[in-house]
Amino acid sequence: MSVCRPARCLFSKPSRLPKSSSHHLRPFHTTPCRNARRRPQYPNIKAEDLNLTDKHASERYPAYKPDEEALLAKKYTASQLAAIKAAEATIDPRDLVTQGQERTDPWRMPYKDDLAQVDPILDHPEKIHKVPGNGKFRETTFYEQETAIEQIVNEQMAKLYPDGLPENPDEYDQADLDGAIDAATMQAYLDPRTSYISDSEEATRALADPRYSVIMPELPRIDSRAVRATVTSEQQEEVDPRMTQLLLQLGWPKERVNAIRTKTLVAHNVTNQTRMGKIRSMYYLTIAGNMNGLLGVGEGKSTEPEEAMRKARILAIRNMKPIPRYEGRTIYGEVEGRVGSVRVQLSSRPPGFGLRVQSLIFEMARAAGIQDLAARVPVSRNKMNTVKAVWQALINQKLPEDIARARGKKLVDVRKVYYGRSAN
Amino acid sequence: MSLVNLAHVCSHLQNASRARLGLTSIPVSKLHVALMLGLQKEGFLSSVALGGPSPPKPFLLQDSIADPTPKHKISDEPWRVFPEPDEVDEKALLESWAKATNSPIPTPTKATTTRSMEESYEESVPENPARRRLWLGLKYWNNEPVLSKMKLVSKPTRRIWLNSDDIGAIVRGRDAGYVKGISKPGECLFVTTDRGILEARECAEKRIGGMMLVRVV
Repeated sequence: MSVCRPARCLFSKPSRLPKSSSHHLRPFHTTPCRNARRRPQYPNIKAEDLNLTDKHASERYPAYKPDEEALLAKKYTASQLAAIKAAEATIDPRDLVTQGQERTDPWRMPYKDDLAQVDPILDHPEKIHKVPGNGKFRETTFYEQETAIEQIVNEQMAKLYPDGLPENPDEYDQADLDGAIDAATMQAYLDPRTSYISDSEEATRALADPRYSVIMPELPRIDSRAVRATVTSEQQEEVDPRMTQLLLQLGWPKERVNAIRTKTLVAHNVTNQTRMGKIRSMYYLTIAGNMNGLLGVGEGKSTEPEEAMRKARILAIRNMKPIPRYEGRTIYGEVEGRVGSVRVQLSSRPPGFGLRVQSLIFEMARAAGIQDLAARVPVSRNKMNTVKAVWQALINQKLPEDIARARGKKLVDVRKVYYGRSAN
Repeated sequence: MSLVNLAHVCSHLQNASRARLGLTSIPVSKLHVALMLGLQKEGFLSSVALGGPSPPKPFLLQDSIADPTPKHKISDEPWRVFPEPDEVDEKALLESWAKATNSPIPTPTKATTTRSMEESYEESVPENPARRRLWLGLKYWNNEPVLSKMKLVSKPTRRIWLNSDDIGAIVRGRDAGYVKGISKPGECLFVTTDRGILEARECAEKRIGGMMLVRVV
């Protein structure tokens, strides 16, 4: 205290210290910090307090006037009217004002309240389940077929040229016209009306009507010669005798075998030294899986690369074995596989982890339908043996049910019980 | 508490399992007995019995020693092979049969076997503790041993103690304190605590720490 300070300072009350804020922060910058929550200069007034929402609601969604009710009563029955009123009473118009929005997205319904109209695309397409007329069909004679084709071609041409055929066509128009006639003739051959006919005209027309269900048992199947010819020309492929044998062994339909995912993971040259000289051949290692719990590994070797590849593929499909998967997405716990000096450690991971594994194991996991997996190949990383070791490890998983049975324990998967999941 | 002897026991049980033995013996110590009872509780062993240098008599033979049934009797009355129904039921059955056929009630022949382990058989344990052995029954399922791997976690020269939090982490499959988590299906870890030898999951449940002993798969 300096001498020059007046003495009344000493006797006066000490000034109040600044109030410490609730959270005391030491400022490290020059900007003045705002301690408390900033309050506006003027008090906030909510729209609710001013009764604005009520006003808007009553303006936008007014109650029915007596004359409006009379109009409604003309269109709806008393019970329908009661239902409409009850439905409208459940929705507070104030909610509609504050939260209600009209949809502007391209997928909005084209109608707001008229549910009597059926949109053929958004709603279920219309189906008719009764064949009109007597519902009896017979195969067409040659003359009837010709007439039907002529009629259908005319129909198709009318669709393609709604304004009539062009008069005095030039070269381009003529080419277009020829193409259109070809297309219309093709359509005519594919049309069931060329193959079948009924005594009643209605029934014959029903054959081409798309509203009739395709699986309708009364309508005959398309069995025209033209259709048969196109189908057989697509199916003509070279037939591998081993493939037919494989199909026989598996007992699966061909589509199912074709849907199997196969991939060649290892390919290298092999040389055999004989007294005649070196014989070079190709070696392929292929995996096959149905992406849903089946995985196989096949090896093929031949002087012809094509032949070796095909051999490997067929062997891989034949060697497919079931792979136990926990919840259909990962493996059971940690498994180890050993082939030669390659050791592979696979471990299960939680949902959404993904396949964080090296490329070979990634391909195998995809083919087997495993989605969450981690793997380590610690020492030796020979590609061929890695693939084989992973396959061994995946096949030789120990299932918790088996372990529980062996130890005489009772086992319950708490995840399945808690979430009510279906067992996989 | 000799972990050296425990290591020998681990290797011996692995070897015995690989050799597909049904019964094997290990030296007796308090640690071994407690651990083997723990293994039996977890279902790795079928039986744990104290005995001498020769194996205890198998369970099935004990009855026949206590009550030898002559063979010709079985040939005469082949139904004796099957377990006998309750005496009361038999009596009621005979009465009803007599009523139905109007014949005198036949006197049932006394049941030959009454199974009671305590009466029929007593295992003689040698007086000399050095001659005692612990006899263990091994289990197999689907042509594979139930106990396939047994390994020490603490070593005689480096023992590992963990608290309950670390044991909880290990039980959840995470590594803690130089010990790998329980990640294989059916893996068990035995811990010696001040409340006896417990499985790691039990320790986590009761929030007890202790010394890691063996890892069994």
